[in-house]
Amino acid sequence: MLYIKCPYCGYRSQNEFAYGGDATVKRPELNKEVTDKEWDNFVYLRKSPRGKHLELWHHVSGCRQWIKVLRDTNTHEIFNTYKSEDKVET
Amino acid sequence: MTQSFRLDNTGLINKNKKISFKFNGKNYFGYEGDTLASALIANGVHLVGRSFKYHRPRGFFGAGVDEPYAIVQLSRNGETDPNVRATEQELFEGLEAKSVNCWPSVNFDIGAINNFLNIFFPAGFYYKTFMWPKSFWYKIYEPFIRKAAGFGSASTKHDKEKYEHKYEYCDLLIAGSGPSGLASAYAAAKNGARVILAEDKPRYGGSLLTSDVSIGNQSGKDWADNIITELKGMENVIVKNRSQIFGYYDHNMLVMSERITDHLPKSDKHTPKQRMWYIRAKQVVISSGSIERPIVFGNNDTPGVVLASAAKEYMKVYGVLVGKKPVIFTNNDSAYETAIEFKKNNINPVVLDSRKNPQSEIIKEALSLGIEIKFSHVVVAAKGYKKVKSCDIAMISDNKENLIDISNIKCDCICVSGFWTPTIHLASQSGSKTKFIEDIDAFVPDKSKQKEITLGSANGVFTLDETLKTSFQKGYELSKEITNQDNKLQSPQVSEKQQSKHDKFWCVPLPNGKNYKRFLDFQNDVAVSDIELALREGYRSIEHVKRYTTLGMATDQGKTSNLNGLQLVSNIENKVVPAVGHTTFRPPYTPVTIGAIVGREIGKHSKPTRKSPMHSWHEKNNAVFVDAGVWLRPRYYKKGNEGLFEASKREAENVRKNVGVCDVTTLGKIDVKGKDSAEFLNRVYTNAWLKLPVGKARYGVMLREDGVVMDDGTTTRISENHYHMTTTTAQAANVLSHLEYYLQIVWPELDVNVVSSTEQWAGAAIAGPKSRDLLQKIFPDIDVSNDALPFMGFLEANLFGVKARIFRISFSGELAYEVNVESDNGNFMWEKIIENGKDFNLQPYGTEALSTLRIEMGHVAGSELDGRTIPYDTGLDGLVSKKKDFIGKRSLLRKAFNETDRQRIVGVVPLDKKTSIPEGSHLVNDPKAKMPILKLGHISASCWSVEHNNPFSLAILKDGKNMIGSKLYAMSPLKNKTIPVEIVSSHYVDPKGERVRS
Amino acid sequence: MQKYSVLSLIKNAFSSHKDWEVAWKDQDPKKEYDVVIIGGGGHGLATAYYLAKEHKITNIAVIEKGWIGGGNIGRNTTIIRSNYMHDENALFYEKGMELWRSMSQDLNFNIMFSPRGIINLAHSDAQMNAYARRGNSMKLNGIDAVLLNREEVKNKVPILDFSDNVRFPIFGGLMQPSAGTARHDAVAWGYARQADSMGVDIVQHCEVTGFDISNGKIKGIKTSRGDIKAKKVGLCVAGSTSILADMLNMTLPIETHLLQACVSEPIKPLLDHVVTFGAGHFYCSQSDKGEMVMGGDLDGYNSYAQRGNLPTLQHVLTEGIAMFPFLSKLKMLRTWGGIMDMSMDGSPIIDKTHIQGLYLNCGWCYGGFKATPASGFTFAHTIAQDKVHELNAGFRLDRFSTGHLIDEKGLGTKTWIS
Repeated sequence: MLYIKCPYCGYRSQNEFAYGGDATVKRPELNKEVTDKEWDNFVYLRKSPRGKHLELWHHVSGCRQWIKVLRDTNTHEIFNTYKSEDKVET
Repeated sequence: MTQSFRLDNTGLINKNKKISFKFNGKNYFGYEGDTLASALIANGVHLVGRSFKYHRPRGFFGAGVDEPYAIVQLSRNGETDPNVRATEQELFEGLEAKSVNCWPSVNFDIGAINNFLNIFFPAGFYYKTFMWPKSFWYKIYEPFIRKAAGFGSASTKHDKEKYEHKYEYCDLLIAGSGPSGLASAYAAAKNGARVILAEDKPRYGGSLLTSDVSIGNQSGKDWADNIITELKGMENVIVKNRSQIFGYYDHNMLVMSERITDHLPKSDKHTPKQRMWYIRAKQVVISSGSIERPIVFGNNDTPGVVLASAAKEYMKVYGVLVGKKPVIFTNNDSAYETAIEFKKNNINPVVLDSRKNPQSEIIKEALSLGIEIKFSHVVVAAKGYKKVKSCDIAMISDNKENLIDISNIKCDCICVSGFWTPTIHLASQSGSKTKFIEDIDAFVPDKSKQKEITLGSANGVFTLDETLKTSFQKGYELSKEITNQDNKLQSPQVSEKQQSKHDKFWCVPLPNGKNYKRFLDFQNDVAVSDIELALREGYRSIEHVKRYTTLGMATDQGKTSNLNGLQLVSNIENKVVPAVGHTTFRPPYTPVTIGAIVGREIGKHSKPTRKSPMHSWHEKNNAVFVDAGVWLRPRYYKKGNEGLFEASKREAENVRKNVGVCDVTTLGKIDVKGKDSAEFLNRVYTNAWLKLPVGKARYGVMLREDGVVMDDGTTTRISENHYHMTTTTAQAANVLSHLEYYLQIVWPELDVNVVSSTEQWAGAAIAGPKSRDLLQKIFPDIDVSNDALPFMGFLEANLFGVKARIFRISFSGELAYEVNVESDNGNFMWEKIIENGKDFNLQPYGTEALSTLRIEMGHVAGSELDGRTIPYDTGLDGLVSKKKDFIGKRSLLRKAFNETDRQRIVGVVPLDKKTSIPEGSHLVNDPKAKMPILKLGHISASCWSVEHNNPFSLAILKDGKNMIGSKLYAMSPLKNKTIPVEIVSSHYVDPKGERVRS
Repeated sequence: MQKYSVLSLIKNAFSSHKDWEVAWKDQDPKKEYDVVIIGGGGHGLATAYYLAKEHKITNIAVIEKGWIGGGNIGRNTTIIRSNYMHDENALFYEKGMELWRSMSQDLNFNIMFSPRGIINLAHSDAQMNAYARRGNSMKLNGIDAVLLNREEVKNKVPILDFSDNVRFPIFGGLMQPSAGTARHDAVAWGYARQADSMGVDIVQHCEVTGFDISNGKIKGIKTSRGDIKAKKVGLCVAGSTSILADMLNMTLPIETHLLQACVSEPIKPLLDHVVTFGAGHFYCSQSDKGEMVMGGDLDGYNSYAQRGNLPTLQHVLTEGIAMFPFLSKLKMLRTWGGIMDMSMDGSPIIDKTHIQGLYLNCGWCYGGFKATPASGFTFAHTIAQDKVHELNAGFRLDRFSTGHLIDEKGLGTKTWIS
């Protein structure tokens, strides 16, 4: 069971969190012309890397904050966790 | 009855307490502290079961968790447990057990015919036959094979036992209480660390219980006892026996199953049978020891062939002899301890040592005791069917390939030792790679993957001195890192016998002309010839070998067989063992009771049950409930002999004619606050929200980014920067997470906060032409006229002293209101409504009538918003703003979403106006067409229209927009129904929506 | 090739089984092939078999980074069914059923297809209605389906919990009587043996490290055992598709997730059907060895680790006991995990790509095992003819852009939610 450090609450077991998928996906801005390709990139296309993956987790049974987690999808090692507004270099 | 194999002067059992038990219907007795295995052996019982495939007789091979043979069906406390290992099951008064996988009895087993035909049943024989005739596999062969398979029988009753879970955190978790576990636990505990020490067996001490060593000035066992006593008295230490750590999961989470009452006749009412511990440890010490591995020889599965270490344990711990005329067959020194122990108990063993001329202290001791030792000798084959009666032995050539001078010696047991295999399961589960150590012919953990360390024989260290030194040191170091304390203990002086090197010998060659079965995996009957066959047929990867032959797939998971299997593959393939590799070690280390994994979440408690504050009123008033997610909602209120149809029709009619009240507490409610709330709602919903005035509600639809409708509901502007959003019952949690995602991740610049208020409010929908009259009666002080509280209006008011919110919204298409009060006042509100409604013929209505009302109105709900439909499909395209952007809008431009014949909601009426159309029927043009029949759409919801007094359905139909007036067929082949229908508008009642505004 | 039969078994018994030939040869890669299939799992081997059998293309290599059959074909819960609602899926999987029924004979390898019937339990009227929609759709597509009421379910599977002490009582169920199970490993081995006999090279322990593409055309692949030229290349590497896609600079509408399963210790026969729990995510059948084979949820976050965590299994087994109380007393013997391509609408992709001569077979979600023959059959057609077969015409890659989704569950793009 993963042990995730919520930047607000500290270490908590995985069962307090809900997964939120790839955090590098960026929603196109509102009211902006978006090509099909750009939109598909946002809605459907995922790199799904083996290795480092910056992803969203939602501390649903805790502070209800969405956080970012840098995790290895092969080993489940968590390198770091971030607040949603933190900029992360991957 | 006497126990002819019980020793008088040895053993750790309590000979003052006799325990009687039954095996295969026969009465026996043993002593407190016995296992079922030790008690049976004491009584001279060696035949306990039959093997999986050939039904060969099976006895006892080990003395613990590694046991491949002795599996029994156990009765306890009026219940039956399948597949219990007799070597682990402690004896209790009244225990009853019987053999499995044999018929009619373990002594005479019909299935043993397989053994005589075994040449026709090599590994994987079933892949090559049973193919003709085609249908016979499933009809004849498979049922026959299935019947023969399986061991014990499961009870089909509910399990009366309780199981519970416990969560624990510690600095050091130590798996195994042998020398390395005790030493590291003691060193760490004395240095202030919070320690959990787990021992699988009832007795602490591991190998110290049976080895002839001294630590300090005490025997190994006394030292262990004293350490345990001291640890138990320390506040920072938890010591648990009968507790198996079976899984090492991510981020140092380990799981341990504690057997609390398995060793007792029954559990008392408040004690669980087992407890599952979830332990998050800062550091883990794996001190799980090692398991002796056998040497492979002919008929090595005959009852009476046992591991040498098990024979010693039976003598030293249980005071039981596995035989009185033992042959000890070894390739290393450790079996000499067994020989000496026999000798001490006045039994004369014969030792066959495959080594040519080994020199060591213990061999000298054995010789000096007069024990007969034959070097360069091996057991060629065991003789005897249900018990060893003798064995063929031979001298073996130096290259271990030739047998010289085969002779037969009488014996009643063969104690075999092929050296030791470190128990690396937990380290491997942690993710650590393994490395092969030539010196010990076995794998040990390589670099630690998580925060764990493996010590003692689990790490391939077989001397006590080194084990204790390292373990004291590591216990100190690991604890120091955590506690920052610096209390270091000295490792005690150890006296032990130095061992000479073991022989790299693990399989006795077949003598010329003999075809003995030489087993690797005893439970699954996998012999050397099976592995040879697999390799011959090209199944060369170790995983292929395992899957083709089933090696290591039995309930002991290959604890005694896997390494010998690898050796064999390595020999035949001419590869070194590490190049062959091993199969993956996965949790659980040993099988774990499923009930214990699940814990208390069983029966009614398998999921939570949510009830509205008015639930008890509904119960008292004959409500029949329905599950709505985890909520229970009244489906209808039963009057007299009414069924669902009559009751819901009555309730719905009453809404259309008079007034009804429905509990709508379960609807999701979210408070939206902040100065950018309007802007946020404008982005979340497809329609426009910027101009909604305070005191007004609006219906909204929200999409997922892929353009599919996610949810709908009304949201009301309570004040300038405060909105009250409602969601469907099913989507409440998802919608909240969805909103939080956009606020926190996508648009953090918006000043908006959201919080669930579902639990804060109880809700009652009052619907029907007389609802305004009722409302006025319960809110006499306010003006509820159409002008003062128009459709989609909102008021705050006082309900007999209780704060209430009134929303003029309608789900039924009638003039309707929804009244909310704080949850604690829910029942009060409900009773006031009921009481005051009498004058207006008020009746409560349930979800079934609610459905009828919404269906005939053409109001979409869950069966139309099924995660596949877009606004157009459900007739909600009028609510899609063309001007502004919102979540999911871009997806609506996709080709398939704009095809001119796109599916769309319609109404469906049977031509005969009588036949109800089953939900889930499909609409077709030609019911007699050839399969596959072209489907045009499906019936999403059906009701008996109380307005028109005939059946009415909603459907999602291809090109629905242009199909109004068409005649089609609704087909339900599952129910053999084909119903001619007409397609009509989905708004079957009040299409102009006049009533809600009246 | 030696024929397997009861006679050959008896004959070989008298020569101590010393004369059996290898089932397939472990080949070294040649320099060049007409078709290279990447992935020696069930789909890859089946594709090679059907290319050889149906399209007479035999200069083929199946390239496998580990040992054949080591991926999801050897890690599933062996369920075979075609009980789908959408036509694209239903007709495709029904073709699969047809191939399953004669597979043992076609391959001369007993893959133990056991049409014991699958029952999806329903726990509410709404669920019964949803099943009616699916079952009617199946029937109109010519697939067998029966809607069972509570009593009928009880007659078929009396060991389900019909007591009052349940959270979600059983209302009924949807049954596909012709669905069932098969011996998973045997499928891979059977296809390998026949493909090998027709001249296909099976190359194990050969990892793909790159692709040779020029002018938008595939020329070959780079591997840990050297470069291999190929006129056509098919990707059949469910679970690892995204890794190969990355080498091709492609981003796909899939994510990789872990699905766990477990078996209990073997017990005497108790359950004659495959049963799935409608109020949660649990399915169960009893193997011919007597083990209860159980599966359910994804671990719930992107994963390439073929090792799972306990909460998911705990959750799955909780639903198991809710359905079958007798499971409580059994012991969990073995657990394992497989990595899945979870596609964004829950349906697979079998298609050409923008690179000429490169073909894609991926996105099988939970359903890869039962799809093995139909996937091989249609993918072979797509590769050989350079155009999709009518049965995989719906499984195109661009359906996400066009909106022609095939979403059986209606869950959208959160692939990790089951």
